[in-house]
Amino acid sequence: MNKKVEAQDRRILLSETVELGEKTNKGQTVTDPNVLFNEMEREASFLTGSEVIRAAIKRANLDVSVAYPITPQSEAAALIGELYAEGYVREYFRGESEFAVMGQCAGASFGGARVFTTTAGPGTLRAMENFPMWAGSRLPIQVCVTCRGINSPLSIQPDTLEMYYLLETGMLVWHAETAQDLYDWILGGFMVSEQPDVHLPLALCCDGFFVTHTKDTVMLQSDEYCIPAYDPYRSPVPCMDMECPPIRMMRDPFIMKSNYISYMTHASWQQEIHAAVERSRKHTLPIMNGSLIETENLDREILIVASGTAVSQGREAIRLLEEEEGIKVGLVKIKSIRPFPTEEIREATANAKTIFIPEFNIKGWLAREVKSILSNNERVIAGPHVAGGMTMPSEVIVDEIKKSLGVAGPRLESRG
Amino acid sequence: MEQYQVLPGPEAFLPPSAASMGITLPDPGEAHIEGRIVDEEEAYEYAARKLLGAKVPTIFPGPLVLWKWNEKAAKKAKAIRELAEAMPARLIPMADYRPKYPKIIAELEINPNHPNLTIWHNKIDVCIFIGVHCHQANLALKIIRGGTDCYTIAMCAQAGHEDACMSFRDISLEKIHKLTATVNKLKKEGVKSQAEPFTQFKMSRQGRIEG
Amino acid sequence: MSKEKIQLSEDLADIMPPEYQEMVATATFGNEDRSWKDIGTSKELIEQHSLCAGCPESIAFRFILASIPAPEDSVFVGSTGCTSLVFPHVGVQNIHSLFGNQNAIASGLQRALKLRFPDVYKDVIVLAGDGATVDIGLDMTMQSWFRQEKFTTICFDNELYANTGGQESGLMQKGFVSKMAPVGKKFEKVRLPEIAFESGCHYVACLTVSKPNRVEQVIRNAIYVSREFGPTYVQLYTPCILEIGKQSMEGLDEMKESEAIGQRFVMKEFMTDEVKEFLKEKNAEQKARKKAAKAAVTA
Repeated sequence: MNKKVEAQDRRILLSETVELGEKTNKGQTVTDPNVLFNEMEREASFLTGSEVIRAAIKRANLDVSVAYPITPQSEAAALIGELYAEGYVREYFRGESEFAVMGQCAGASFGGARVFTTTAGPGTLRAMENFPMWAGSRLPIQVCVTCRGINSPLSIQPDTLEMYYLLETGMLVWHAETAQDLYDWILGGFMVSEQPDVHLPLALCCDGFFVTHTKDTVMLQSDEYCIPAYDPYRSPVPCMDMECPPIRMMRDPFIMKSNYISYMTHASWQQEIHAAVERSRKHTLPIMNGSLIETENLDREILIVASGTAVSQGREAIRLLEEEEGIKVGLVKIKSIRPFPTEEIREATANAKTIFIPEFNIKGWLAREVKSILSNNERVIAGPHVAGGMTMPSEVIVDEIKKSLGVAGPRLESRG
Repeated sequence: MEQYQVLPGPEAFLPPSAASMGITLPDPGEAHIEGRIVDEEEAYEYAARKLLGAKVPTIFPGPLVLWKWNEKAAKKAKAIRELAEAMPARLIPMADYRPKYPKIIAELEINPNHPNLTIWHNKIDVCIFIGVHCHQANLALKIIRGGTDCYTIAMCAQAGHEDACMSFRDISLEKIHKLTATVNKLKKEGVKSQAEPFTQFKMSRQGRIEG
Repeated sequence: MSKEKIQLSEDLADIMPPEYQEMVATATFGNEDRSWKDIGTSKELIEQHSLCAGCPESIAFRFILASIPAPEDSVFVGSTGCTSLVFPHVGVQNIHSLFGNQNAIASGLQRALKLRFPDVYKDVIVLAGDGATVDIGLDMTMQSWFRQEKFTTICFDNELYANTGGQESGLMQKGFVSKMAPVGKKFEKVRLPEIAFESGCHYVACLTVSKPNRVEQVIRNAIYVSREFGPTYVQLYTPCILEIGKQSMEGLDEMKESEAIGQRFVMKEFMTDEVKEFLKEKNAEQKARKKAAKAAVTA
């Protein structure tokens, strides 16, 4: 159903056990995230995406991070190691593979720790068995996925196909466009995924290299402040520390005896995970400026709907189309893929005659998602697509739109 | 499309989760009644009337209040006993969440994996979940809605339950007392308990204490 | 959790199932010198299980749960298999891992608990079958030893995949005919105890579960050593009577035969000199405690 939740004046809800103003072992002041995110002064820094991950984690009051090298997330994972050496992250080590790392993260989360890790491409797929386990076990682990190619032949280059594999794991899946998104959502992500009614893992995705390895201006709060610690006793399931009842407790027991009741319990369990994804909507609004999407000029007949860095390319294409051709195009940026902003997109595209969905993957999963929720979905043009590390020059989007409008012009491929 | 209502079942072979039907949880200070967000104050009287109007009102206390893992839990347990006596209502524990095989004793316990068995066996028409971890409560509440006609009330210490027919949130000792006070107030005003006569079972280390 | 916290709320205690009332009254939480000998006089921590009649694994499980020194501060990590049919009914919190990643889960768990409870020994204990430990999970088993993770790994070695119906495993004997080894297993039983010691385990034991005293001693040794030194490994022969064609009453004989001189389960123990010294002290302490307790009773 994916009902839209109204923004009202939503604030981030905190645990009653949080002691604001308390100092951490590094002297950081535990701060109300509503104040930290929305009211506190920020200063501009010029950082790579990897450095931005470090900056966010420094303020994240993080207990545990487990690292493993794979391009393009290696630098971020190593920078978190620096924070451990400095004392800002309480536990950190290198695991032996992504499958093991995600297990180690799960163990720490079962034990009541706030956990963050990073992965990419083949690492995401190697780790895959863990993700529905994390979600099924209600572990609010955050994994930053720096997307890259996954299929043979090997590619380390950006490609968002791996996100498609994450969509039905039961995790929250967000797609950052910029380093600023990445920074704000890492911190906000903990606040959303640790809510007792959500309490799910978050896959915070960004496009490898385009975000991780390019420098961008990012507005940061002072690192003298950090978000409140995780409270494992608000969890919707018992924490595995032998400090809370019931002690006769397996996380999570087989419910697979061959009878109808067992099957229904499992089905209900699955429904509950996806219900928790739905519940995250209202908590996400204060993190994402009041909506799971961001829009520009919805009155226009042509829209670009995109997520990740395809949004940035779309924006530039819109500028080119207007300045050079006088063609006016609107924009919808999708920030959260799970939960999917169904109602928001329906509303935003209500007046559109043609909807273009540029993507950094060969199959166009976002276009499928959008098509599946719209009436008159012949309006949706799945493309343009690039993959395997190709860039998506704004001109490619311009060409695609012009082609569909029957406007002649120089074709980009002739420049090759 | 009509707004979904969280009503007693039996609803479906596999009913949807209320969240997937667009039901959202109350914010602090609020409660929900059948999916409609209301001021928490309104919910006390609604719940009290539901409970007093029931033939077999029952409280299902969970591990978070059955065990004295902190002083607050023990105080809540006392308040729950008082609430049960005020109505009067049966108390049936959800002692743990493990799938019990080959079967549970439906008269004496409820299990989140097949809560319908306890509802059916005891013909429970209104129940309260309290002190149950949210995940397990949601499983149970949904299964109950799927297969029984029981009206479910969640008294949740966290964010509430949209899979219950009505739900409080941020339940504290004071709020349990307040529900008890509301029950007592209604009774004073002449609202009579419709509960069928019963004797609360008692257990010992050896088993059920007869008589 | 201190023993004092494993109590029922007084006002609701009388509706609790008898097994919990029994647990609160007589389970041996908070008694470091608890023993398999308490079985029969105190509430066991396994409430029920659905293993086969006469299954040596079930008795091994009972010995272990009766022997761990601090169940009130222990968390188990299990794996998929027959043990995971028992674990929901165990009165110690436990995690069902993905098949094979039990030592990875335990690594994260132990570190998190150490962070959160720096002044308490929170014993993390892995208990998995030979398929999970030696085959699919060998990487994570050994890596946790290389990294010197401070927890105990117990392997229930039944020399095959029991729960899936008796397929070949790495710990199966050479030549044994089973599913997926239709002409007999073609390579030797993996020498995991030796590998464990070489990989950094500070204490290693391999034995059958025919003698409860021995099981108790190695489990206690392994846990104490894991607290102070690092990883420890215990491999217990728990034959799957069903899959090797034995009767319910033949499990014990099977174990006794296989631990006889010259057989593959003659008890083995490996430890460093440092650990040997440490255990000697630990055992002396335990003896002194027991003596003092006895004196207090008779006084």
